[in-house]
Amino acid sequence: MTNRIAFALAALLFAAAPLRAQNAPEQDAPDRDAELTMDVPVMVEEALAAGIDHQYTGPWEYFVGGGAAAFDCNGDRLPDLAIAGGTSPASLYVNHSDIGGELRFEEKPDALPANIREKVTGLYPIDIDNDGHRDLVVLRVGENIILKGGPDCTFTEANRALAFDGGRAWSTAFAATFEPGLPFPTLAFGNYVDRSAPGSPWGTCHDNVFIRPAQGKDTPDYSEQFPLSPGYCALSMLFTDWNHTGEPDLRITNDRQYYRDGEEQLWRIVPGKPPRPYRKSDGWRSVQIWGMGIAEADLNADGYPEYALTSMGDTKLETLDDEAEPDRPVYRDIAFDEGATAHRPYTGDDLKPSTGWHADFDDFNNDGRLDLFIAKGNVQQMQDFASYDPDNMLLGKAGGGFVEAGDKAGIALPRRGRGAAVADFNMDGMLDLAVVNREAPVSLFRNCGAKTETGARPMGNWLEIELQQKGVNRDAIGATVTVKSGNETRTRKVHVGGGHASGSAGFIHVGTGTAERAQIRIQWPDGEWSAPYRVFANNFVVIRKGSEQAQYWYPPE
Amino acid sequence: MMNRLSAIALAVLCASPAAAGDVPWAERAINSHVDQSKLTGTLDRAALDALIASGERLFGAKFTELDGAGRKMATQAIIPTKRKRPPDNIFQRIAGTESNSCSSCHREPVMGGAGDFTVNVFVNEGFTNADFDTTDPQFSNERNTNHLMGAGLVELLAREMTADLHAIRKAALHAARQKGEPVTAALETKGVGFGRITALPDGILDLHEIEGVDTDLVVRPFSQKGVMTSLRQFTINAMNQHHGMEAEERFGARWTGEADFDEDGHAHELSDGDISALVAWQASRPAPTVMQPADAAWQAAAKQGSTAFDAIGCNSCHVRALPLKSLDFADPGPFDAAGTLRAGEIEGAVYDLSLLDWTKTLERNDKGEVLVPLFGDLKRHVITDRQVAALGNELLSQRFVERNEFQTTEIWGIGSTAPYGHRGDFTTLDGVIRAHGGEARASRDAYIGLDDGARSALIAYLKTLVIEP
Repeated sequence: MTNRIAFALAALLFAAAPLRAQNAPEQDAPDRDAELTMDVPVMVEEALAAGIDHQYTGPWEYFVGGGAAAFDCNGDRLPDLAIAGGTSPASLYVNHSDIGGELRFEEKPDALPANIREKVTGLYPIDIDNDGHRDLVVLRVGENIILKGGPDCTFTEANRALAFDGGRAWSTAFAATFEPGLPFPTLAFGNYVDRSAPGSPWGTCHDNVFIRPAQGKDTPDYSEQFPLSPGYCALSMLFTDWNHTGEPDLRITNDRQYYRDGEEQLWRIVPGKPPRPYRKSDGWRSVQIWGMGIAEADLNADGYPEYALTSMGDTKLETLDDEAEPDRPVYRDIAFDEGATAHRPYTGDDLKPSTGWHADFDDFNNDGRLDLFIAKGNVQQMQDFASYDPDNMLLGKAGGGFVEAGDKAGIALPRRGRGAAVADFNMDGMLDLAVVNREAPVSLFRNCGAKTETGARPMGNWLEIELQQKGVNRDAIGATVTVKSGNETRTRKVHVGGGHASGSAGFIHVGTGTAERAQIRIQWPDGEWSAPYRVFANNFVVIRKGSEQAQYWYPPE
Repeated sequence: MMNRLSAIALAVLCASPAAAGDVPWAERAINSHVDQSKLTGTLDRAALDALIASGERLFGAKFTELDGAGRKMATQAIIPTKRKRPPDNIFQRIAGTESNSCSSCHREPVMGGAGDFTVNVFVNEGFTNADFDTTDPQFSNERNTNHLMGAGLVELLAREMTADLHAIRKAALHAARQKGEPVTAALETKGVGFGRITALPDGILDLHEIEGVDTDLVVRPFSQKGVMTSLRQFTINAMNQHHGMEAEERFGARWTGEADFDEDGHAHELSDGDISALVAWQASRPAPTVMQPADAAWQAAAKQGSTAFDAIGCNSCHVRALPLKSLDFADPGPFDAAGTLRAGEIEGAVYDLSLLDWTKTLERNDKGEVLVPLFGDLKRHVITDRQVAALGNELLSQRFVERNEFQTTEIWGIGSTAPYGHRGDFTTLDGVIRAHGGEARASRDAYIGLDDGARSALIAYLKTLVIEP
């Protein structure tokens, strides 16, 4: 009952909030059609047929969260899928998809230890102990768990072995980075409302947690935790090299629903020193949103990433302002100019503001331009927000900016989206999509190609790139991938974090449009630039640090 | 006559108007576009003739500004790329557009043939301002115009060879996965070896021992470097580079967001059907032949020269003939990448080259395969060394191919296509043979080691490889 009252109050507050959505010009259908000159991917939902019958369920604590992790856990390079379930058990599905064909998964019931499968809000894959097997960070309402990955998708609880105290907080965000000189990754956990604090939930956001591994040990030791205080009810966090210094800082998006005097945060992370938040005196402008998810992409290939921040109402798209300097993170919002506000449903009659969650920049139509996927869905029954709130597929336009194609692509389902995983599940070069929905089945969309009057046709050219290095940080977290074709340079960053409670690891997908060749250069996490690797498009490319040639990998036929 | 009449009828049926209400003297070369949707299945002789006729008109057309000639705000790059500012003139010898029609260069001794040094073209990046696209070899590679005779057979050979290489790759990968150990396989197709690959059990392919072919194992048979997959790809590239006539299938709104990418006031300059017509015309060019000299002394010398050709190893790269299983030319083809229409994007058509009279004269082997007498291997070779480097005069690699590496020139028709060499630097066959270094060094040295009479005989033989006027 308390929770219901809380949300009724919240609904009133939202109704009074000055949302740009209510003043923004309409995105009327004819204009949208005229702008959709590019390929629109045909996304066919086939979760049940593929063997995934899964829902994210639960009361108030599970209104948020609902993550998924796409990563290879059995060494065949096909991305497998772990999905949070809230009060339902989290599950791991092994990918047996037909190459270039229908998606097929099989649940591996014993993959995740039984005692930790419930209360899971989110999942992030990362090889913490540098053994070549990706481990799994499990965010929960209650104790967070680090699962040590083994062969054939086996996972064992490793909190004790890693000296990691999973705490008792309501965790909803995670990010990791490899700092110079440290043998294992630095971890950050984002927490939501401290339910035990007096006055909860209002103004009782839990501190977040920052953990560096102890030095001089052969195995990870995460016993020394550093609180990131104040916390403002984080729902997503990401280590990001916003100023191109090679030293990522920690960006956190926070839910204004519950904080008092809070804001979006950027913590300065200097190796060997405690984190400190950027403040107004540093140029950091206060932004207060219902921050749910973060996605980063260097949209203009200038070396400085832009950030999509999902929220209720307008999605923000932040870019460095002209006033910014290397130590002054001054950002401005360009979402309206770029057509990326996604502030209300783009189809149907519901004109109330949207509620955005997971965000992901990726090239779904292989035209060489980044698109923006946003999972959407009402928190539960917030009457002043759209109840039918379809997910967005904002396709990148040739001249910049985005145009909505979610309905035409087939992802506009009446489900409350939360987390998501974007991956090429059937290894055909076209990105597929898994969306975790609250109290509704997981959506698993197979990308079948460009929409035509009669079906689908091949889309643009593509590359999928896997990075490997020896020793610490085998998956090259923090690396920058640049793919140059002609005058175009496309960049991707390898990171662990962001989205909404969801992470992916594995091949990095780059659409190259009409380019059939490309030169790939890697800036490895230690800052070293590789020589250019010459590759042909429509290949899976494996690049090992120091190797003279890139190698091609072929999926099993 | 019947064929001609039905071809005309079909041409009318297949055409869509480029500009309604044109007067007969309108200053445009394209009065109607070829309708791709009408090109389905295996075309019968009449339909194929009609398409070829349309292609011939386009190949010979002198495109005008009213057709969309020139590319005010687009560079010559194969990836649609904007210029930073418009050029001063529509024609610019280096960066293009530099010619008014295809046939103005491909013209000797017939339309579709080769060109003199005067019609050399320049291969440059096309990603910067025209001001930097100079004849300085630091910025561009200068190339002589190739002939297109027999090009359909060449593409068909390349397709079959690519399919073979891909089948070898697939089998090696499968075997490695099955055995759990590396599997090495020779890349050989139609008697031409492309090195070898090693498949690893995890699906990785070790490519460091491949020879003369791209890492995706696609045999690209066109251009002097062997970097273009198909006549379709070549046509789209060339129409933009040389004429500023932009094909919808690469420069249209699907990929560029603009119907008029080059901003010259003309959208939809070349339809998919127009490109198909140009492909069909090129694919149907008769193969060059071996001429029987009237002069008895020449006959005798040529016979002697033919023997010497093999004896000194010319035929190790200039392979006399490669076997071709099928004369069905599917358009679009199977190995193009996005930006060139691909199988699966449209229904497409098959041009049955066996319908063409000249293909009936081609020799066949005991398997019934057509022996394509191209005198080439569709493979790239290093053609220079430290001592013999005249053919190494390019400073830019092109599309990942090193500057001293060229695809073996198919020397069918060599007797009709002087000057010689990729830049047209050699006025005599003797000169260009002496310029062969690198992998061809031994044969070149053997040629030089022949006595005067034997060398002359070899030239006599090469002079019989002609394009019939």
